[in-house]
Amino acid sequence: MHPTARTASVAVALTMAAGLTGCGSSGGAGVAADKKQTLTVWAMGAEGEKLAEVAKVYEDANPHITVKVTPVGWDVAHQKLVSAAAAGTLPDMTQMGSSYMGEFAELGVLEPVDTKTFKKDAFFPAAWEQGVADGEVYGVPWYVETRVLYYRTDLAKKAGISKPPTNWAELQQAATAYQDKAGTQWGLHLQSSGLDAVQSFSPFLYSAGGSIVADGKATMDSPEAVKALKEYATYFEKGLSNKSFQPGYEVLTDFNSGDVPMFYSGPWTMAGINDNYPDLKGKWAIAKVPADQVSASMAGGSSLVVSKDSEHKEAAKEFLSYLTDTEGQKDWFKRSGDLPANISAWDSGELADDANFKIFREQMETAQPWPVEPQWTEISSKADEAISQVTQGKASAEDAAKKAQSAIEGLVK
Amino acid sequence: MSTTTESAAGAAPDAAPAKTGPGAHPPAGRRNRGKRQPVAVQHMAGWLFSTPFLVLFAVFMALPIVATLVMSFTDFGLRNVTDPLSAEFIGLENYTKLFGDEKFLKALFNTAYFVVVGVPLTVGLGLGVAVLLNNGIDRARTFFRVGFYAPVVTSIVAIAVVWRFVLDPSDGLIAGLASEVGLTSPDFLGSEALAMPSLIVMAVWRNLGTVMVLFIAGLQAIPPDVREAARLDGASTWQEFRRITVPLLRPTMLYTTVITTIGYLNVFEEPFVMTQGGPSDSTLTVSLAMYREGFNFFHMGYASAMAYVLFVVIMAITVLQLRLLKDNTK
Repeated sequence: MHPTARTASVAVALTMAAGLTGCGSSGGAGVAADKKQTLTVWAMGAEGEKLAEVAKVYEDANPHITVKVTPVGWDVAHQKLVSAAAAGTLPDMTQMGSSYMGEFAELGVLEPVDTKTFKKDAFFPAAWEQGVADGEVYGVPWYVETRVLYYRTDLAKKAGISKPPTNWAELQQAATAYQDKAGTQWGLHLQSSGLDAVQSFSPFLYSAGGSIVADGKATMDSPEAVKALKEYATYFEKGLSNKSFQPGYEVLTDFNSGDVPMFYSGPWTMAGINDNYPDLKGKWAIAKVPADQVSASMAGGSSLVVSKDSEHKEAAKEFLSYLTDTEGQKDWFKRSGDLPANISAWDSGELADDANFKIFREQMETAQPWPVEPQWTEISSKADEAISQVTQGKASAEDAAKKAQSAIEGLVK
Repeated sequence: MSTTTESAAGAAPDAAPAKTGPGAHPPAGRRNRGKRQPVAVQHMAGWLFSTPFLVLFAVFMALPIVATLVMSFTDFGLRNVTDPLSAEFIGLENYTKLFGDEKFLKALFNTAYFVVVGVPLTVGLGLGVAVLLNNGIDRARTFFRVGFYAPVVTSIVAIAVVWRFVLDPSDGLIAGLASEVGLTSPDFLGSEALAMPSLIVMAVWRNLGTVMVLFIAGLQAIPPDVREAARLDGASTWQEFRRITVPLLRPTMLYTTVITTIGYLNVFEEPFVMTQGGPSDSTLTVSLAMYREGFNFFHMGYASAMAYVLFVVIMAITVLQLRLLKDNTK
C-alpha cells in the first residue's frame, strides 16, 4: 500500500478504535491467580518462539493456567503495539524493547510494577532503569545485552599487539597497528552515518562520561559528549574506519576476511561467529570497552510489562516471577542464549565460569541504558545526524553537537 | 488509473446498449417517460451490485482520505493514540512549518530529481525495448520479454539483495568487473552524488517491464496497412518511427507517462530498502520522510500535511500532463 493510504488507514483505525475502547474494558478486580484462565503474551522475534517452550513447561506445573504466546516480528512490533494500545486490545503481558518503554508509559497503558515482589537490587541497574519512566516502574527486566570490543588475536600478533586496548589512546594505536603492520583494510569498524549510528557511538559517549539526555535534560553539547564526538571522528579522518555506511552491512564477513580486525557488538555475535565462521575459532577474543574516564558501554535488552486493562494481572504477576527469578533466568539463558537481567543467575554455571561471560558481566555493571523518553526515536535520530555530520567532515563536533542539542531540547519534556 | 476508468465508462454507452450499470442511463424514450418505476428499480439493482465495492471504498479509501485531511490540521501525536479527540486544531501550522523544514524541502528536491530524470528514461527505454521486441528481434522474443518483465513481479527485498551485491564497492559485481580492467569502482550508495542516480537506474530497470508491455500492446494495435502505405511512399525506418509509430502511440505514451510519473512521485521502496534516505539525506524522498514522521516519530498530523502536499503536487502534475499530451488530432 502507498504510504499516504497507510498513514490514513492507521489514522482511521486509531480513531475507530478509540470509539470502541470507551465501551470495552469496564474495570474490575480481575481474575484471581488460582482460577482457571488464559494468559495472552506477546514476545518479539526469536524470543517469541522460545517463550512458547517455556510456557508449556509452566502450564504443566500450573494446570489451571493456559499461556498463549504470540510471536511478533520486530519489524512490525511497534506498529502492532501502538494499534493494540489504541484499540485497548493489548495482551496481558508484553515483551518491551527499552526504546519503546517511554512511549507506552506515556500512553498510560502499562500497569506499574509491584516493587515489593520485584526488587530493584536483584537486577543490573541498567536493566532496571530501562523499565522506569517518570519515576514509576513499569517493566521487569527480562534479559540484557551490552556491547564489548571484538578483535582478531591472530592479526593482533602480526601487528605486534600483545594485549587488548584498555583506553582510547591504546585503541587508536591498535587500530593503526592493525592497518600498518597486519595490512588490514580498516582499523576498527564504526558506523559513520545512518539510522542507529548512535549505538556505535555509545561506547565512546558513555566512556567519556557523556550522555544524550540526563535527568530529563538534553546534554548533547556537554564537554564530555563533544569530546567523544571528536574522538569518534578521528577514526574517520585517519582512515581507520570506513566513512561510507550502507544499510544491511554485515561486519562479520569483513571480520572473517580480516578487512575489519576490531568492532563493537553484543553477546549474540559470539554465537554468530561460532555458527557461521567456525574457521575463526581461536583467532578472536573479546575485551571490555577501552576507557576514557570509565569503561562504559550501552545497555539494551527487553523488559516484560503487564497491561493496565488486563483482567489477569495476578496470574501475569506469577508468570512474570517465574520468568525473572534466578532459576527462570538460568533456564532462559540455556534456551535462548540471552543474558539474564537477574544478577543472581550469574553466580553459578557457565555464566560464572566462562571468561567471555565474565567480561560481559563486568561491562554490564557499568553499562548505561538509553534514557526512557516518549520521543526517544526522534531524539536518537537527531544524535545520528550529528554523528554523520561530524564523520563526513561537514561540521565540527562543537557545531554538530550544538545543533543536535537545540533539536533535542524541544523533544524532551 | 483515472484515464482508463474514464475512457471505459465513457465508451460504455456507445459500445453496448446494455442498461444495467449505474452509469448507463437509458435514452429518454416514450416507454420510460410513462413508467418511472422500472428506472428506479434498475438504478436500485445497479447500486446494489456496486455495494460491495462502495462499502470497501468508503471504509478503506474515502474515510481515511478525509481523516488524513482533518488530521493534517491538528497536532495529532502519540498522546492522541488512546484519546484522539483531544488532538487540537492548529489551522495551517503544519503546512507553514513544512515549508520551513529543511528536511522536507530536501525531500521535495530529491523527489523532483528522481522524477525528472527517471520518468523520461523509463518511458524512452521502454519504448525502445518495445519497438525492438516488436519487430527487430525475432529469435528468443519470449525470452527477452520475460527478462525485461521479471523485475516488475519480483519482490523489492530480493531486488535489494541483488542490487546491493551489484553496487557493493568492495566485492560487488561492478567493483569486480572494474578491478578486472584495472579500475576502481566508486562507492555508489555511499556517495552523496551517486546514491540518487544509482537508485534511479535501479528504478528504471524495475519499471521498464511495465512500460514495455504497455507499448508492445500499443504497437500491435497500429494497423499494418498504415505502415505499408508509408513504406510504399518511400518512408525510411526512422521516418516510419517518427511519423507513424510515435503519433499513433500517443494515447499509450500519455498513459505510461502519467502512471510512471505518479509512481515515481511516490517513490518509497527503493530508498527505504537501499539507503534509508542516506547518505546525509541525499536519497530522502517525500514518501520516506512522511513515513518517518508518521510511523517512527508519530507526528501523525505533520505527516498527514506532507501527504496532502504530495497529493496536490501529484494532482497538479497529472492534470498538466493530461492537458499537454492530449491527443489533439481528434
